Amino acid sequence: MARAFRSTRRGYSASFEAAERQLLRGLFQDVITLLEPERAEDEDPLWAMVGLDPNAHKAGFAAPTDGATRRLLPDADPDDAEASLEFRRLSERGIRESKIGALREAALVLEAGNVLLSDEAAPRFAAALNDVRLVLAERLGLVDEEDAARIHAQDDWSKAESVDEYLALVYNFVTWLQESLMQALLKSL
Amino acid sequence: MPTMTAMPDVLEHVEQAQAHELDQPYNLIVWNDPVNLMSYVSYVFQSYFGYSESKAEKLMMQVHEDGRSTVATGSREKIESDVSAMHGFGLWATLAKADAA
Repeated sequence: MARAFRSTRRGYSASFEAAERQLLRGLFQDVITLLEPERAEDEDPLWAMVGLDPNAHKAGFAAPTDGATRRLLPDADPDDAEASLEFRRLSERGIRESKIGALREAALVLEAGNVLLSDEAAPRFAAALNDVRLVLAERLGLVDEEDAARIHAQDDWSKAESVDEYLALVYNFVTWLQESLMQALLKSL
Repeated sequence: MPTMTAMPDVLEHVEQAQAHELDQPYNLIVWNDPVNLMSYVSYVFQSYFGYSESKAEKLMMQVHEDGRSTVATGSREKIESDVSAMHGFGLWATLAKADAA
């Protein structure tokens, strides 16, 4: 069983078993796959460096249709579809790249069983865990506090029979881990 | 030369409209989401905006209880950059003209 995050003199420390690391790394990878923009073969790498999307000004550029991706990248101005799209043209690629960067870093950190995060890395790890939870929540249909309470009540791995019950337990594990990191981070402010 | 006399009027009008749009204050609104942890929201408000613990907690409770909270106000450019940052953190944030909120 994993040991939750705590603040130490050398950084934010936690430890994981092999199966937990494999699970978390798979989740980080799933979200990276969701967020990875379609890239043309001949795309100039400068686009990615500056966080702009060469397709953003072409016809057919639109908000993501997948529910989980929209949850990660919501409309900036819900009353103005054109302004929201313009915001996406300028910002969405950069947000995708920064999320992917944090998720890749989190997956890399979990190559070791004992995790130690610096002050700079810890908030990025927290954001990666948060993105995983947003995607799991969308898959679980978690939209209100009632759903949250129902999912939170599932705590017995031996009784998980359906995919949703299993996903709920995974969601609760990631929540528990993120909460421990947030408590440690809040103490350090 | 009618074309010469008509254009400056039009340009001036466009420039005024643009200047007005840029001057208009905007609000950054953060919405309640049953996924985001209260501790995480409070941490983001403190670390990104530099708000005190009590101010961050108050705004976070407003999000949680009222469903939304105006977390910052400023130029459109500044608020757009805040919205990007909030989406980067995974918070559900939008912008709106300050007088419309």
